[in-house]
Amino acid sequence: MGLSRREFIKRTAALTAASYVGMNLPLKEENRAQASDVDGWHRGVCRLCGTGCRVELGVKGGKAVALRGVTGSRTNMGYLCMKGMLFYRLMGHPERLTKPLYRASKKDSFKEISWDEALDIASREFARAVRKYGNDSVAYYGSGQALTEETYLFQKVMRAGLQTNNVEGNPRLCMASAVGGYITSFGADEPIGSYANIEKAKCFFIIGSNTAEAHPVLFRRIMRRKLDHKDEVKVINADPRVSPTSRIADMHLQFMPGTDLALLHSMAWVIIDEGLTDREFTEKYAVFRVGKDKKQVDFDTYKKFLDDYTPEKASRICGGNITPDKIRTVARWFAKSGGTVSLWTMGINQRKRGVWANNLIHNLHIITGQLCKPGADSLSLTGQPNACGGVREGGGLCHILPAHRLVKKDKLRHQVEDLWGVPRGRIPPKPGYHTMAMFTAVNQGKIKAMWVNCTSPAQSLPNCDLYNKGLAREDFFLVVTDIFPTRTTEYANLILPTAFHFEKTGVYGCTERRSQLTRKAVNAPGDAKPEVWIVREWAKRLSRDLNDPVIATTVKPFDGLEEDYELPEAIWNEYTQKLTRGRDNDLSGATYRVLSRMDDGVQWPAPTEEFALQGGTVIKFVKGYDPLATKHSKDENPYQFYGPAHPDRKLWVWLRPHKGPEEMPDSEYPFYLSTGRVIDHWHTSSMTGRIIELMRSNPYAYVEINPADAQRLGIKPGDMVEVESRRGSNLLPAKVYEGPVKGMVFVYWYDQAESRMINKVTKDAYDPGSKEPEFKICACRIRRVSGPRPLKPFLVQMKG
Amino acid sequence: MKKNICCFLLACFVAAVAAGCAGTADKKVSDSMAAARHPELTDQEKLTPCAACHRDITPEIYQQWYDSRHGLGKVKCFQCHGTYENFRVSPDETSCAACHNAQFQHAAKGKRCWDCHPAHGFVAHR
Repeated sequence: MGLSRREFIKRTAALTAASYVGMNLPLKEENRAQASDVDGWHRGVCRLCGTGCRVELGVKGGKAVALRGVTGSRTNMGYLCMKGMLFYRLMGHPERLTKPLYRASKKDSFKEISWDEALDIASREFARAVRKYGNDSVAYYGSGQALTEETYLFQKVMRAGLQTNNVEGNPRLCMASAVGGYITSFGADEPIGSYANIEKAKCFFIIGSNTAEAHPVLFRRIMRRKLDHKDEVKVINADPRVSPTSRIADMHLQFMPGTDLALLHSMAWVIIDEGLTDREFTEKYAVFRVGKDKKQVDFDTYKKFLDDYTPEKASRICGGNITPDKIRTVARWFAKSGGTVSLWTMGINQRKRGVWANNLIHNLHIITGQLCKPGADSLSLTGQPNACGGVREGGGLCHILPAHRLVKKDKLRHQVEDLWGVPRGRIPPKPGYHTMAMFTAVNQGKIKAMWVNCTSPAQSLPNCDLYNKGLAREDFFLVVTDIFPTRTTEYANLILPTAFHFEKTGVYGCTERRSQLTRKAVNAPGDAKPEVWIVREWAKRLSRDLNDPVIATTVKPFDGLEEDYELPEAIWNEYTQKLTRGRDNDLSGATYRVLSRMDDGVQWPAPTEEFALQGGTVIKFVKGYDPLATKHSKDENPYQFYGPAHPDRKLWVWLRPHKGPEEMPDSEYPFYLSTGRVIDHWHTSSMTGRIIELMRSNPYAYVEINPADAQRLGIKPGDMVEVESRRGSNLLPAKVYEGPVKGMVFVYWYDQAESRMINKVTKDAYDPGSKEPEFKICACRIRRVSGPRPLKPFLVQMKG
Repeated sequence: MKKNICCFLLACFVAAVAAGCAGTADKKVSDSMAAARHPELTDQEKLTPCAACHRDITPEIYQQWYDSRHGLGKVKCFQCHGTYENFRVSPDETSCAACHNAQFQHAAKGKRCWDCHPAHGFVAHR
């Protein structure tokens, strides 16, 4: 029990490698009010990850003082993670942006201006760019954290108003490969099933996901299922890094980074070789396809293709701890369980062949018939609270219009123009720049004005130093809407303060096709405003400055509406009643009236209020559960795969060859580098870094190193280590443990400190199909620079 | 500062004893524990995750937590005990209610959560 001060300091130094200089981490008395003291509880959804936990905000004297989970919710059953418990502290935080700020030159200091002046400037600069350089010289870069109403209105003004499809958002960086996978395998985006399968599953196949830290509440559900049925339920965790998720695993498959396509094919080989396929399901509902031209082949061709991935061959490709026996064992567990749920996130999506990796997981579910039935699903976990609802469904990417319509399809584009009441031809037929192309265009001087909403690409883009050169250009005008200063506001000309969650009203749509309403419960600080008000007022000025009445048409239905409820409700009504009606994500029954009455929102398709009041569709494509499956039924089969991308109404099993990462380790850069999240922080930590408990719990990023590598290189815990790639370097304290596989290092990506921003080091290669970057794998080298050094947490602060 | 560390260890000992016999502790002791403060640490020391020290200082408590569902689910010390400025040896029960509100509302009157669910292990009712 005894521990001398010397020993204490020694231990803390080894763990934190830090001495600490003061930092503004306020914890005021008013933020310590206990839950029992509140005046009232206000229902909404969590602001952070994509799980969609239902929460209640405790308000006392007009201030947010507590958060708690909603027990009756089907997403979280009352549970919250530490971020979900504490994000109320961000309402009224002293570092919130509260006034519009402007500087003509990026060399100048910011000055406070009025909203009138700010909106005039934003309009003038976008209008100037359009007049001088054309419609595609302007762009919007949004967020999977923006409300659906916000993303929808931004993209409407950009497309029908400014006549450009340069509409993108950070979901391109996290789930675009999942979208590509669902569309090419199942014919429609987003998962077939629901979280409800977790409590019925007999096997969990968790690959490329540290669920315990990235989706803690879902992990809690999986953990409960496993612990309550220890022998009955198997958990397979496949990841080059042993993580907290691995603690509940019956088997951890630790393969070398980028070799999982071979692993997945090998599991399919075993399933076929041992006669574990669901022949009836496969014959009835699946076809086999190969190549860019989607050529259909037969089952025998698929079987022969898999001969390159026998367990013996695959184990040699995969390396790590992978053996033929392990592959056989997990393949049997997967196929014979009677209900397997696969879950994955960025380890699969953020890859040069992310779409293919998604396809190969789906393949396993198709050939074993582990779909459309209780306890079985191929479930891509989404990282942000509204990447699905706002961006995937609301038209927030350059190639898609609202409700899963492709820009390039004339018929669908004209539908949207007609529904919006703008002339046909107003929306350009060509998709805009995808994210990496968009920031390349900024570098090249092709984009002259950009609006970044609720995200920080200056920190979150791979190889960010390269793209930050473009953001720093004096001939590039940047508007940023946010609640706190970030690495991106450092490049802005105009910073507009926005209302935070529960300070405005709107809908988030989470991983499982579930839309949930959060109503305003507290006032935003200072002059911060909801984005929907900002966009509406900006559009009216654009119409004036460009002398183009059609721009005003895009916001005319919303003119004069009160901004806290009427305005977002009117936007939601237009989107759901006009744009989603009759589409596969039909939300026309999920009105604000219905959403306000539900404990946990509504899952689409939900074509009527009556159906929405029952919760919507729990399983897609199943007659009797999904009203569209019944409506679009073509035969007697219980499952109807009516997805718009597969005219043959079949599930597609893909023959995709194994491909490794873009950049492999070599003699110069001998290590794999991978990056990821910790439980305490969210994205770039601009929010979680300002909650004292969370910042203290993980004050700065580390580089995790396998003990065998550390010993060879003379690196001890806490030593300062340079992590260098062909693009840039970081200087990080070392954490030495049996986490990453030997030959790989792992770095957390939330840290804003210049020397610890790991996206300076990551590679900007991207998937040719989804255009999602390969954050998860690149080559690097590491070297010990010194013993522990003083470090301190860092957050960007407003200057001037 | 040596005195601070001694206080710190004493507080940890009190917490450990409290965890072991919370079911029999009378209200007076409980109030005294609730009022206890974490000993003062420097700003640097405050950047150390609680578990990093308590793994060695209160190994039994650490192990109970680590093996529990809270440990598996990474429910961390500060979620119940607060951080240094609002540290409580004996948590306010409303922190339990953040995740277990229904159980909190229906719990037997006069009983605290850990009277029935032993602290840090949080297994079924005693």
